[in-house]
Amino acid sequence: MEILSTIFTVSLVAATLRTTTPILLVALGGSFTTKAGIFNIGLEGQMLVAAFFAVLGSLWSGSAWVGLLCGIGAAVTMAMIFSLLVVTLRATEGGRGRPPNSRPGGRTIALTTASFGVRGSIGNPGIVGLPRLQVPFIHGTRPWGQMLSGYTPLIYAAIVLVFVVWAIQYRTRLGLYIRVTGEKPEAAESLGIRTTRMQHIASVLCGVFAGLAGSHLSLGYITMFAENMSAGRGFMAVAVLIFSNGDPFKVFFGCLLFGFADAVALRLQTVGMSSYLVLMVPYLVSLLALFALSWRQRDKVYRTMRRTLTASPRGT
Amino acid sequence: MTAAPPKDSDLAVELVGITKRFGAFTANRDVSLAVRRGEIHALIGENGAGKTTLMNCLFGMIVPDEGQIRVDGRAATILSPQDAIRLGLGMVHQHFKLVPSLTVAENIFLGMEPTRGGLIDRAAQSARVRDLSRRTGLTVDPDRPVRELSVGIEQRVEILKVLARGARTVILDEPTAVLTPQESRDLFRTLRGFTEAGMSVILITHHLDEVMAASDRVTVLRDGAAIGTEVTAETTEGRLAQMMVGRPVTFGRKARAATGGATVLSLRNVDAHDDRGLQALHDVSFAVRAGEIVAIAGVDGNGQTELAEVISGLRRLSHGQITLSGRDVSGAPADQVRAAGLAHVPADRLVRGVDTRETISANILMGRQHQAPWARGGIIRWGIVREAAKGLIGRFDIRTQGPDAPVKSLSGGNMQKVVLAREFSQEKPFLLVDQPTRGVDIGAMEGIHDEVMRQRAAGVAVLLISVQLDECLRLADRLLVMFNGRIQAEMDPETATLDEIGLQMMGGRTSERAAE
Repeated sequence: MEILSTIFTVSLVAATLRTTTPILLVALGGSFTTKAGIFNIGLEGQMLVAAFFAVLGSLWSGSAWVGLLCGIGAAVTMAMIFSLLVVTLRATEGGRGRPPNSRPGGRTIALTTASFGVRGSIGNPGIVGLPRLQVPFIHGTRPWGQMLSGYTPLIYAAIVLVFVVWAIQYRTRLGLYIRVTGEKPEAAESLGIRTTRMQHIASVLCGVFAGLAGSHLSLGYITMFAENMSAGRGFMAVAVLIFSNGDPFKVFFGCLLFGFADAVALRLQTVGMSSYLVLMVPYLVSLLALFALSWRQRDKVYRTMRRTLTASPRGT
Repeated sequence: MTAAPPKDSDLAVELVGITKRFGAFTANRDVSLAVRRGEIHALIGENGAGKTTLMNCLFGMIVPDEGQIRVDGRAATILSPQDAIRLGLGMVHQHFKLVPSLTVAENIFLGMEPTRGGLIDRAAQSARVRDLSRRTGLTVDPDRPVRELSVGIEQRVEILKVLARGARTVILDEPTAVLTPQESRDLFRTLRGFTEAGMSVILITHHLDEVMAASDRVTVLRDGAAIGTEVTAETTEGRLAQMMVGRPVTFGRKARAATGGATVLSLRNVDAHDDRGLQALHDVSFAVRAGEIVAIAGVDGNGQTELAEVISGLRRLSHGQITLSGRDVSGAPADQVRAAGLAHVPADRLVRGVDTRETISANILMGRQHQAPWARGGIIRWGIVREAAKGLIGRFDIRTQGPDAPVKSLSGGNMQKVVLAREFSQEKPFLLVDQPTRGVDIGAMEGIHDEVMRQRAAGVAVLLISVQLDECLRLADRLLVMFNGRIQAEMDPETATLDEIGLQMMGGRTSERAAE
């Protein structure tokens, strides 16, 4: 009981929001590519590159906002390379997603070494982080102020963006065409909607969001870049996207689930549970969610076919 | 100027000398076609005769190598479907191009949505669909997602989509393949309404009865060339069939040797309910013997679907008994019925017949994947499967690149042959064939009928369920007529006349039904 009350506190809510934000931002970006019919396994890489360049930008310009723009620019560049390969050159997503994904890991390490002469991480007092927003009236009050105020702007932006992304996808032509491109490309083509263009646009939008997510990692809660600091969040986003089918609100709740699992995992470490077990939690949640989903979405054709065709009696 | 060919201004669409090659294969060879304003022009030919290629040229999906297209008397350059739409052409494809998760209105206005302030004006969109429905008599609910619609209504949405884009000439590619007879009749009535309003319709089909019932003129394609254009009222089905196939076609009864053996399948007092819980089968009793073809004739929807499902173990019976090869299989699941000796060609091949995403080999294997010699120790032996598939591709004349081609690359008729190949090669004592030639062209139909006769000669007990009366008459040794879930009558196909059978299909009381 004592353990529970140490874990489930107001600051857990705050921690959940903090851990949810990067996954949510990158997943919202991925929601565009998912809707456009691209299985975007490059999210992790785009986020990592953005985190690195956000730190560089911030360091060299002395402005967090310039850092943010650099991060977005880097992620968008990555996204454009990805969509050039996948959409225009028709490489398979898995095959193409892997290199752009695994390379940033190495590339950012190489760039770190080249730029700063160190391996591992860049922590430099010259890095300017994003400011904390103090929500008027409730800031400093307990518990609401603690729960809802004092975050970086991207945390608030992420939540607003859930609605913005939904409106784009479901209430504008662009969103409609992106969805049709993913769901029934031949229908889109037959009506003169250019599906490859839609997929490129979706990729670039995705890059913008991955850029926000990466910048948040390195300029948000902490101001530093570390090797592989995205720590699989891009892949968690991919998992969320698979079972939410890219619907913004489902994406939001899926990310909250992961963010919560992440936050609980951090807390559990502080109460002395084996960190190895604890670090499994978010991945276990992904696995279980995927299982639940793939079970539910078993193809109807298969079900009917199996009933019709199973010829051998059970047990043989 | 008298008796001159129709003036240019009378022609809605004219194709002159169209040739289209795909590599070494010539899909269309110097084809000319003139469609008048206000007519329903049927385009018929066997699968692969070049109908769809020709229409794809007209609609800008592909560009012909030679030839000219004229629309409304003017030479037209059609390089994309958008060009075709701009010229007032509209195409309803055989496989609908609708987006299931979008609403009816969203599908109809896709690509030309009314917007307000950057957002799609959904209210205006729905209102315009309602308005279009009112003008054409094609009723739809604009706000319903397409995935909830029946195929008949989906087709209606496709037609509305074409009309919303201002089409004056509507091309329909095998529109009745997915429709019930009732829906087909409604469709033809709608099309007639269009032509009365001055529009033109091009109807691609391979059903001669539809050509006779619905069209004003008909052009026959064979092997990529136009064989001729006939005025429907002045031609006959037999003549059209001969033009299509290139040789006289006999629709006569298949010659047969007397066979007859032990009872393989018997139904005793079987009752069953349909999906809505209404009683669909009433006290059905009959038997099928080895080496005999029993046909179930009847208008679609009189219990044939439920009968097939009850026999194959896909539907529970509520009363009665079914025996197969001496085993009581009443209420047994499908796998046990199959183990007892059933081979089953289901009515809807896309739902229960094939997995279109899988290869021909995999589809041939399905249902036997646990058995020797196809598998050993739980591992499928694909080498053996592929060899068997190759053999069956030859025997059933499946037009394909090979056993590894996905089934979705095949035409409807060839998909059906994959199902037949799998089921007919099982060497089971009982064969249930449900609508075996639905959506299949005349040449392939001939081959399927021959296969069924071969099964009969091999001593298989065959139950044929078909809404095609001529098919029943051609193949059956005994003919059972179903009406309202009952066996209405048993008839001898040698002696029964079409009128007598038709009377029984209507429940034997034509005058009363006419009065209703």
